[in-house]
Amino acid sequence: MTRRDILLGALFLWMAAVIWAAFLWAPAAAGFLGQSSRIVFFHVPTAWVATLSFLVSFIASVQYLRTRDPRWDVRAHASASLGIVFTILATVTGSIFARIMWGSYWNWDPRETSITFLLLIYAAYFALRGAVPDPERKAALAAVYAILAFVTVPFLVFVVPRIYWSLHPDTIINTKGRITMDSRMFRVFMASLAGFTGLAAWLYDLECRIEALRRKAEEEIL
Amino acid sequence: MWRFLGETMAVFAKDMRCEFRTRVAFNSLALFAVTTLAAVSYTIGPYGIAEADRPYLLGALLWIVVFFAAMAGLDRSFVKEEETHTAPLLRLAARPLVVWGGKLLFNTVTLALLMAILVPLYVVLMGLSVRTPGWFILVLAAGCLALAVTTTIVAAIVARAMSRGALFAVLSVPLLLPLLVFLIQGTRAAIEGRVPDVLAALRAVVSLGGVMTVASAFLFPVVWHD
Amino acid sequence: MRRGVTIRFEGIGKRFGRRVVMRGIAGQARPGSILVLTGPNGSGKSTLLQILAGLIRPTRGEVRYLDGDGEVPREEWRHRIGMAAPALALYEELTAMENLEFCARVRGLEVDGDRLRNGLVAVGLDPDRPTVVGGFSTGMQQRLKLAQAVLHDPDVLLLDEPGANLDPDGQDWLAEFVRGMAEEGRTVVVATNDRDEMTWGTDRVALPG
Repeated sequence: MTRRDILLGALFLWMAAVIWAAFLWAPAAAGFLGQSSRIVFFHVPTAWVATLSFLVSFIASVQYLRTRDPRWDVRAHASASLGIVFTILATVTGSIFARIMWGSYWNWDPRETSITFLLLIYAAYFALRGAVPDPERKAALAAVYAILAFVTVPFLVFVVPRIYWSLHPDTIINTKGRITMDSRMFRVFMASLAGFTGLAAWLYDLECRIEALRRKAEEEIL
Repeated sequence: MWRFLGETMAVFAKDMRCEFRTRVAFNSLALFAVTTLAAVSYTIGPYGIAEADRPYLLGALLWIVVFFAAMAGLDRSFVKEEETHTAPLLRLAARPLVVWGGKLLFNTVTLALLMAILVPLYVVLMGLSVRTPGWFILVLAAGCLALAVTTTIVAAIVARAMSRGALFAVLSVPLLLPLLVFLIQGTRAAIEGRVPDVLAALRAVVSLGGVMTVASAFLFPVVWHD
Repeated sequence: MRRGVTIRFEGIGKRFGRRVVMRGIAGQARPGSILVLTGPNGSGKSTLLQILAGLIRPTRGEVRYLDGDGEVPREEWRHRIGMAAPALALYEELTAMENLEFCARVRGLEVDGDRLRNGLVAVGLDPDRPTVVGGFSTGMQQRLKLAQAVLHDPDVLLLDEPGANLDPDGQDWLAEFVRGMAEEGRTVVVATNDRDEMTWGTDRVALPG
């Protein structure tokens, strides 16, 4: 067994425990309809991973333009692919919650707006990659676009929700810096955050290796 | 510095001269603007919106018309250089920043010309009354600059890819979305005469535009040479 | 005194998507000499010439410009290179004079009307012709491209199929013109398949098909 296998086994057990705890061990939060609050254990971590991937892909893009090392482009591409999957997951889980709590799947709540925005960025990023055949140019243009998108995100995420009124529950660490969760819930929530981050790291690693192999296969004809 | 400005003006003057001889960008921008304006004015007109909603909806509609017109023509400056294969010569002869500056100037002037014609028409056709016209014009001017900066760098990217027309809108929308939100808020506040809100929106537009300008200036050479 | 530029290129490979255009191309072009790049259609002559000009980034390998002071930095290349190629088009909406004037301005040169006019006369064009370049014959466009290439007195002259579309007199004039450029200490690289033009070469790189 390699170190990777051991880590993978641990991740599997950890996620199994998180899923069990999310449904059976943690209590349902007061002030939410029925069991609906349990979605927080999955919705927030996916949104967190979506944001994290966006950050990683920004850093990898900057590094690519600085070093011109194709491995950074592989990383930027891998984390963007991961980002788009988790963005869709966060959108779907959020939409289900919105349906139960607020009665409709979509309200253009500021946070829903921000995540749509993230989805648009990712879609544009992949549309751009698809439209450039030359590999070096593709990597460079995609990196430039990722950086441009990244610098506009703070405006949407931080400024727009402050201007509009929001239905969205307070973020976990809210503006007052206070934690508004039952202690059991909080423990499961943190464990789930850690678990999803581990899951994302594993998927990211896989995606990087696959992409590197794919490119190596293409390189061999040169 | 003066040399830099002189070379930038050379690119700008060349683009203007070519544009006045063919008018591809001007015509498509103007046609798009006039068509959308006619559609909006015909379907909504001055009385189609309840009094309370007017400032907000009219502000939003105005920017939507401007945005669509921008999408129709502001990619020409770069795409034309690639399509007619004049870009390599420009790449060999000019400094990258000079090209960026010239194209930015060209896009700004094109958009400003368009808005100078479009906005008065819009105000008349939609029966729009603005409480603080000075601030209204300032918001429009800041919006014109910020839109030009963003579309210029996106046009530069798109020109280096395939299926440029569709890609221009796809890549522009996410980058322009926050900007349009701020501009619509600022325009509404200017129509309603709420100066502090105009200032808040202007600050957001200027900082977003500023960040975009700095990022573009750094990234343009990469886009241009790869 | 002209500071001659030596162009060195090693291990050049280029891939467009899955299509490999060339691999492992190496060579050198020296001041005062004419390097001829030959090879069948599709062997990548034009691509190699554009790689040498820094217009296309090679997938593999490296191009270096060396003069008396060592390596010429990339930002300086634009002052040293003059190039005429089918891939480098002129502005069809502008007249010959306007095209040259734009090139001069954008390079930050003093715009001297007489010098521009002389440049056009030297390649056999009429500076006062009011026609825009879009209405020029391909041969006239080729002459204008050559005028553009030498406008800023470059140390390196890169020519892709320079004689194509020229009449026999024009081709004789061209041979004279290119040899003169090399004799004045310039580094000339010509990509061609024309048998006459191949004889100009003092060095040669043959690209495999």
